Amino acid sequence: MLGASAGGLLVPPWSMAHGASGDASGLTDTEIVLGMSAAFSGPSRGLGIELFRGASAYFTHVNRAGGIGGRKIVLRTYDDGYQPNPSVENTVKLILKDRVFALFGYVGTPTVTRVLPLLKKFQNEKTFLFFTFPGAQPQRQPPYGEFAFNLRASYRQETEGLVDNFVSVGRKRIGMFYQADAYGRSGWAGVRRALRKYDLRIVGEATYRRGSKFTSVMRQQAQILKNAKADAVICIGAYAACAAFLRDAVDNGLRVPIANLSFVGSENLLKLIAESQDEPRRYAELLVNSQVVPSYEDISIPAVREYRDLMQRYDPKPPKELLKEAYTPFAHSFVSLEGFLDAKLMVEILRRMGDSPERGKLENAVFSVSDFDLGVGVPVSFSANRRQGLDRVYYTVVDGGRFVPLHDWKGRF
Amino acid sequence: MKIQKLFQKTLFGIFMLFGLIGISTSMLAIYTVDSQLSQEYESNAKGIAKTIADSSVDIILNRDLSALQSLIDQFVEIQGISYIYIVNDSGEYLAHTFVPGIPDEILKGDPNNTASIQRSLPGMGDFVEVSSPILAGVAGKVHIGMDTGLIALKIQRAIGQQIYLFSTIFVIGIIAAIWLVNLAARPIANLLAYAAELAREQSSAADGGVLVRDDEVGQLARLFQYFSGTGDLPAPARPSPGARA
Repeated sequence: MLGASAGGLLVPPWSMAHGASGDASGLTDTEIVLGMSAAFSGPSRGLGIELFRGASAYFTHVNRAGGIGGRKIVLRTYDDGYQPNPSVENTVKLILKDRVFALFGYVGTPTVTRVLPLLKKFQNEKTFLFFTFPGAQPQRQPPYGEFAFNLRASYRQETEGLVDNFVSVGRKRIGMFYQADAYGRSGWAGVRRALRKYDLRIVGEATYRRGSKFTSVMRQQAQILKNAKADAVICIGAYAACAAFLRDAVDNGLRVPIANLSFVGSENLLKLIAESQDEPRRYAELLVNSQVVPSYEDISIPAVREYRDLMQRYDPKPPKELLKEAYTPFAHSFVSLEGFLDAKLMVEILRRMGDSPERGKLENAVFSVSDFDLGVGVPVSFSANRRQGLDRVYYTVVDGGRFVPLHDWKGRF
Repeated sequence: MKIQKLFQKTLFGIFMLFGLIGISTSMLAIYTVDSQLSQEYESNAKGIAKTIADSSVDIILNRDLSALQSLIDQFVEIQGISYIYIVNDSGEYLAHTFVPGIPDEILKGDPNNTASIQRSLPGMGDFVEVSSPILAGVAGKVHIGMDTGLIALKIQRAIGQQIYLFSTIFVIGIIAAIWLVNLAARPIANLLAYAAELAREQSSAADGGVLVRDDEVGQLARLFQYFSGTGDLPAPARPSPGARA
């Protein structure tokens, strides 16, 4: 898929007259321009759209309150369809043409992995990549880790948590279903690494092509894992393919716990199963999804309350310019909550730069964040040796047609 | 259009010659394209395998395997490369491009083999697999499968183009040969008719214009006229170049 045109703004279009074009730093007296390339089309569009919506809710809230030092936050968005080449083209455009202040909210390991070398190439521009949705290692370690900042826990932490819990309930024959690309491999490497602690290996593995739809047949993959006698399966994929696998696995008699990482887009996955199957419960009861943000149902958490309030108040829409297919947004989702928290921390960092923000000062502003209360119950800190804000992984299962926190693995599995 | 018996053999000869040339050049083309493409494919694949092997060292030793997967995903976009897999020194598959999984034929094979081999994978096709060691083999091996079906397709395309060109030339050649043969046969037919009529009618035989021709047909016609006693002895014909004295 080719890169799409420029897209959504978080402030009224007229404010773009004073936008970043012509400015060398993504900054004017009235705006701070951030750049985002994500999937707004294709089978994984729900991820880009929901992440954008969550971030939009908070940025809009800040803009309506006067912005940061009088500057409104503008999020310049491009669609990459979750494909590496358009993502690279979009990033070149954002850095060289749009001259954005920072890159923000990228979606996808195969895309981000290819974008990272660009940041090194343009390191003199001091354009940092903030809070990507994928939890892969390349943006967390040399040689590109120094150009990115992460908020969420990594895939390595998510897969390790899943393996630890499965092993703790006696499920040691772990199989894998994963996307045949860098994202899948990142998760595969995480599971392999976690199993090694117990002197175990992946008992079977099946793959699918990126961009597979829910209509894709995954019987062969289900059969491979059934033949391997897996007693739990960890999926590293996007919602459409993972929902197709869940459907075909259950239909082919592979009735074992099926885990997904946070990237999957839990609500979109559940929606596909619920809409297409006569007995969605039969499928959903096997699901256990790891999350990197707390449950949006847990209103005892201050950030969740704020998120729900602002999502309801502003009802952020996906960028119209980038929407090629109809999409019905979720009132709440883990992905939009993550986007919301990303935006909240981004605003805090920008505020710490005072009245004269500069790209060159961004890194120090991030490092000044220490024990910051984001409202999720865990303090956030950054330093030269710590470029990831949160480490906590949450586990959820489906109950009553929605994802709820899982506290008792033994009781459930 | 009636073709003289005298020329039917000529046309048959032309037809046979075309056939022989067509078959022999096609076979030569198949052999040449097949051997050259196979060699080129294998050579390119070895070059790519070595490039990946050299690039993989740092990734395998220092970085996340997603970077390794990203690397091979870029190479598998090259036309002709059907699959790539990388194994470590203990034979574990570190990265691959197979969907829905690594085929049994490969799992049962020797991952440390570095010689080029022919593989037939059910549901995927036929491949020539080349390999390259990573860090002299102590860090693993890169294996690349090149689709031989693509070579067959290229041969088919080359032969098809050749047959198309040959058929066009053949049809044009046959039409031209028939036209030329017909052009040469018409005066002979007239001469034959004149000779037959001369034998029957003597002096009143219609010559059909052959008596005024200044070629061999005209000379023969005048000779027939002389032998029949209705004409004078024609002047001796000038011998054609190369004719015996």
